[in-house]
Amino acid sequence: MIDDKDKRGIGSFTHLIWVLAYKTLKLKYKNSVLGFFWSMLNPLMYLLIFTFVFSKVFGDIDRYPLYALTGIVFWSFFSTSTIQITESLIDNSGVLKSINVPPIAFPLSAQLASIISLGFTLVPFTILMLLFGLEISWELIFFIPILLIFTGFTLGLSLIITSLNVYFRDMQLAWTSFLPAIFYSAPIAFTSELIPKEYLLLIKLNPLYYYINLLRDVVYHNRMPDGTNFLIGTVLAVVTFTIGFVIFKKLERGFVSQF
Amino acid sequence: MDNHIAIKAENLEVSFFIQRSGINNFKDFILTMGLKSPFEQKKVLKGFNLSIKKGECLGILGRNGCGKSTLLRTIAGIMKPQSGVLEVNGNVAPLMALGAGLEPELTGIENIKLVGVLMGMSRDELKNSIDKIVDFSELSELEINMQVKRYSSGMMSKLAFSIAAATDPEILIIDEALAVGDLGFRRKCADRINEIKDAGSTILYVSHHIAEIKNICSRAIFLKDGQVFQEGSVDDICDLYEKELVKNK
Repeated sequence: MIDDKDKRGIGSFTHLIWVLAYKTLKLKYKNSVLGFFWSMLNPLMYLLIFTFVFSKVFGDIDRYPLYALTGIVFWSFFSTSTIQITESLIDNSGVLKSINVPPIAFPLSAQLASIISLGFTLVPFTILMLLFGLEISWELIFFIPILLIFTGFTLGLSLIITSLNVYFRDMQLAWTSFLPAIFYSAPIAFTSELIPKEYLLLIKLNPLYYYINLLRDVVYHNRMPDGTNFLIGTVLAVVTFTIGFVIFKKLERGFVSQF
Repeated sequence: MDNHIAIKAENLEVSFFIQRSGINNFKDFILTMGLKSPFEQKKVLKGFNLSIKKGECLGILGRNGCGKSTLLRTIAGIMKPQSGVLEVNGNVAPLMALGAGLEPELTGIENIKLVGVLMGMSRDELKNSIDKIVDFSELSELEINMQVKRYSSGMMSKLAFSIAAATDPEILIIDEALAVGDLGFRRKCADRINEIKDAGSTILYVSHHIAEIKNICSRAIFLKDGQVFQEGSVDDICDLYEKELVKNK
């Protein structure tokens, strides 16, 4: 992960990632008193809209706000991660042009910052979920491995978008336009049981299907995560991360000429 | 390997990958897919040869776009050569663009930590040198705790130079970075550069100020079209530089 030209050890590389993530978070929350509040506002808006619009349509879904919120939490983690990681390289082009620092430090620190951000928002969201009927059970511990594989997938995908975006700046625009397609084809506001059989395959092509269903297993149904889904999710994460990492490493040679 | 050599380049080739005109977004790339490659190589350094001894202070002169910055970036490890040999013995502190890595929204002290870590300082090194950096920068207690976006460009250069100079580099690269700052600070920078030089470090100095080059450097090279056009004593090269500039006017 560390470039041969760079003499940092693994210890100071990790330190660098933390310092950069800390900086990102600090900048995000510094200039607005309500900084923390803003990062929760977007998921809350989704929740509000869903509850008002869909709870009549999907009236037979038990504890609908809790059901929707589990999907929204993972969705906003996914969408903000991909966008912030993509921005991280371009935002730091000045640094990459004048200091010998491994480029991958920026996407990694952006990912770390968004995990910490998720951790912050989980506190109020857990309270909200308890109000909506969340039951505490030991299966909740599986949240951690599920988040881990989901992060692997998200980071891998982001590395692909990020490295291409350095060469073709409209990649970022293309991605933001593409995001709604992923959103509406993932079972966030609805359950896949409501989908006609012939379309179910289409829904399953969306990788988010697996991760959101896994999260729901433990948070909403209070049961062990589904084995098949967990396996698919893990394989997807490993494959995507490997591809993303290889592409990034291949393309990073030319980054400086593009800034 | 020769122990007295700090930097050695043999037949070094460094190029830029730039988009062929007309293809600079993904849409165009898709449209022309398979018809032509979206990139072309622009060679900046062509068969570049240079050897710099340890403890030497080399001035680098040349017209804009002749490859000075690319050479420095390659030595600093920021750009990778396509072919050829490049040996760099010792840790490099690049002072390429003024204030690179400084985050305007953070305070001076926070920036010292940030840039220090970016430059490769370890946690302990940083802890030990933070007072030294603040001291050298001549910024007051109030100023160092102020957001950098409120700094004047002179103050910014003081901070940037202080961080780079604090690393006790074996090879210090300076690319036109000292042009700003008040006279007192510039003199202090020159003193610090001499101190680094006396400690046995190698210095690469790019500037268009002939007086500065003459003041600091012990040898100079003149770059033209990505190659060493001539190397020699500081006075000879400075004369050549002046002549070339007049000729091309």
